[in-house]
Amino acid sequence: MANLRVAGLHKNYGSTRVLSDIELDIADGEFVVLVGPSGCGKSTLLRMIAGLDAPSAGDIFIGGRLVTALAPAERKIAMVFQSYALYPHMDVRKNMTFGLKFTGVAPKERARRVAEAARMLRLDELLDRYPRDLSGGQRQRVAIGRAIVREPAVFLFDEPLSNLDAALRISTRVEIARLHRLLRATIVYVTHDQIEAMTLADRIAVMNQGRIEQVGKPLDLYYAPANLFVAGFIGSPAMNFFPAEVESVAGGEARLTGAAMAPLVLPADGLAKGAKLTLGVRPEHLTLRGETGFAAEGVVELVERLGEASFAHVRRADDKMLVAEVRGRDTPEPGQTVTFRAPARELHVFDAEGRRIAGAG
Amino acid sequence: MLAPRARVAAVHAILIAYCALAVGPILLVVMNSFKARNAIFGAPLAPPSAATFSLIGYEKVFRASHIGVYFANSLIVTLVSMALVLLFGAMAAWALSEYKFRGSTALALYLSIGIMVPIRLGSVAILSMLRAAGLNDTLTGLILVYIAQGLPMAIFILSEFIAQIPRDLRDAARCDGVPETRIFFEVIAPLLRPAIATVAVFTIVPIWNDLWFPLILTSSDSTHTITLGVQQFLGQYITDWNSVLAALSMAILPVVAIYVVFSRQLISGLTAGAVK
Amino acid sequence: MAEPLSQVVASMPRGRFVALMALFLGPAVAVYSLFSIWPLIATMGLATYANDAGGGYRFVGLANFVSLFGDAVWSKPFVNALVNNLIFFCVHMLVQNPIGIALAGLLSLPGLKLKGLYRTLIFLPTMLSVVIVGFSWNLILSPLWGVASGALKAVGLGQWFAPWLGLPSTALVTLALISVWQFVGIPMMLIYAALLNIPDELIDAARVDGLGHLRIFLHIKLPLVLPTIGLVSILTFVGNFNAFDLIYSVKGALAGPNFASDILGTFFYRTFFGNQLQLGNPTMGAAVATVMFFIILAGVCLYLFIVQRRMRRYAF
Repeated sequence: MANLRVAGLHKNYGSTRVLSDIELDIADGEFVVLVGPSGCGKSTLLRMIAGLDAPSAGDIFIGGRLVTALAPAERKIAMVFQSYALYPHMDVRKNMTFGLKFTGVAPKERARRVAEAARMLRLDELLDRYPRDLSGGQRQRVAIGRAIVREPAVFLFDEPLSNLDAALRISTRVEIARLHRLLRATIVYVTHDQIEAMTLADRIAVMNQGRIEQVGKPLDLYYAPANLFVAGFIGSPAMNFFPAEVESVAGGEARLTGAAMAPLVLPADGLAKGAKLTLGVRPEHLTLRGETGFAAEGVVELVERLGEASFAHVRRADDKMLVAEVRGRDTPEPGQTVTFRAPARELHVFDAEGRRIAGAG
Repeated sequence: MLAPRARVAAVHAILIAYCALAVGPILLVVMNSFKARNAIFGAPLAPPSAATFSLIGYEKVFRASHIGVYFANSLIVTLVSMALVLLFGAMAAWALSEYKFRGSTALALYLSIGIMVPIRLGSVAILSMLRAAGLNDTLTGLILVYIAQGLPMAIFILSEFIAQIPRDLRDAARCDGVPETRIFFEVIAPLLRPAIATVAVFTIVPIWNDLWFPLILTSSDSTHTITLGVQQFLGQYITDWNSVLAALSMAILPVVAIYVVFSRQLISGLTAGAVK
Repeated sequence: MAEPLSQVVASMPRGRFVALMALFLGPAVAVYSLFSIWPLIATMGLATYANDAGGGYRFVGLANFVSLFGDAVWSKPFVNALVNNLIFFCVHMLVQNPIGIALAGLLSLPGLKLKGLYRTLIFLPTMLSVVIVGFSWNLILSPLWGVASGALKAVGLGQWFAPWLGLPSTALVTLALISVWQFVGIPMMLIYAALLNIPDELIDAARVDGLGHLRIFLHIKLPLVLPTIGLVSILTFVGNFNAFDLIYSVKGALAGPNFASDILGTFFYRTFFGNQLQLGNPTMGAAVATVMFFIILAGVCLYLFIVQRRMRRYAF
């Protein structure tokens, strides 16, 4: 296993800039997830780390070695693809050993590695079968097995769970986490699903439009998002945003007003009169009880009941929707006019450019 | 292995060389058709210059043969055959895939035999049949034969296209109470437009370029197609190089022109039909 | 294909259903049966007849076939034509298909510029009439014009030139190569389409596994397009054993020199229609056509058998 470093990476396709200024430092044995919406460049970045596409500028180091100009096979990486990419005309055993043949691994060693990987992934009985005879989950395990036998320095996963059904996704996710601990592998994992990111990653890199918005531990991103995008992307249901303006600053306190909220007073560190802000508050921090702090009023339109908790969708004064988590006796009925409150310490404050000024955690 | 740049260059070099081989002979013929006789022999590889330019071959071709008639005949036979192959073939493909009745599988198999078995082998009987019907030496006779020749492949290709049409469309039309014939002609048929390119490749080219059936089924000059006409002209004037080259070029240029204009559709038609 | 009848169909009155089927299927089935299937059967029937003294036909059973295979007057040219046809076919399989595969492989390389242009140009000869092709090459290879000999001289191989089309030993192979030149576009396009069908991720996986481009082609791409190569082979087989136009337009019905380029198609034509050396013999011609049919049928059955057993189209 080895560490991975990406420095100053750019990629253009013609005149379109697809990746800008990517800097990433991944430690040996770390599980880093690249997450973001479609088109954010996460798969492009992964392909560049793999060596399948070349960057327009920048460098990639694996284990301290400069690999930017090297072919994929020379980088000591292994990749698991979204559609598994198993060779249909070879059986499982051959699929796993095919690449090893061409990198000069002796037959005995190949057999040993396959047996080891098969044991780890419970593929022993499937070694003589063909991909067309396997289920989606089995195929994915074979694809993972193919990566393991290469004994790479870095594992790359490209949305490996996207083609699986919901139940299989959860069990395979657990499987991948288990493998990470077992092999102490350095893993770069791409997904658009922030739940996968939160549950699997040691650190997450949130990407948007070719840039890395924030890199950090999952809970750091959850409690201290660096900007509006990260705040809205991490956490489900998404954070509620309220536009606000600083009406006046006096005596170290700022008075904030907004179309969908009651006036609010916050400590004025760095806030100037007339500044346009966005306040963020997560659904689970909104409550019908309490008396001070942030308040927003609206009419309940829909209550989604999920068992112990429910989500109330409320139409705000500015006609947008607010989502709050409610429990038990606090569950309102559709049609009711309610006021949701949150303590000031759970608020996230973002400036006019969407950058974090202050917040919870 | 070669460095990536050298490898790309090598690939292009091979492809260019082969293209030269593919296109060279054609260019040669067309170029030389515009030259005077001694220039053809003196400097065959040189393009026509002001001094050597000559249309004498073309004049001869127009004078000595009815190339206009041949061209018209080919056009009529090819277009009518294509149209009817499309019509009959689409109807048949639709009926076979939509209305499953007892024997429809057998019928489908029966119709597909013609893809592999060449129709020419039955020429003996075709000729006597057409003679008996008085259709010998007519364009109609040729058209009927070409329709029979083109149907199996057309039905096969159209079946594949029809399978792509979502069921919902026909179900919706049925719920609306549209009669079956109208469903075919007004809902399904317009959606088969992309198939026309594919069917065209497999139908038009063999018909236009066919020598066998015009040779066997037509005897008088006025029913000859262009392929046959050119072939006979060439046989007759074989030592008159100007005329020969001119005739060849006149047969080449329309096809090349159409091909260049429609090449993208034709090639995607071919690949679409093949990707099953 | 044993779907239950759709509700609409099942609820239609029988008379209307029959009329509908007649409308949709009638024209196609009629023309096809009349001009494709029936003539074939009739020809096979005709082959069991022979001319009798009074100018009519009398039934002779398999006598024509016996003559074809046994009587030297017929069997010699027949076997000659058959052997030539096999050679013709072999040249196509050995030259046309590998070149087509190689060109398809080159064109399917990712990121290749000018792909469309190359494809268009390479496919161009296929669009031309065989008459044009035959004659053009006849001129180019002709010692009188000197283009071919000049070209060879230019690369220092001048002494290799010979009037290949005119020599009995080389005429057939030369014609076969001309045919390859013309038709290589078809296997190229079919195999190219099949190569495009291979998902990019599979190639990426192979690159990550450490294979270079050549190895990827040999070990991944080629095995996966084997079904298409099989299809190309059978199409080549049927096409070759049906071939006529090229030989006829370059060499005439006599398929000279000295029948060296005679194949089954020209043999059939000559037998049926006759020429300056012999009278036309329709019943014998029918017999030849029948034999050709069975040869082609045997090939097709063999192909279908192999496809059923071994080659599978891989679904991705």
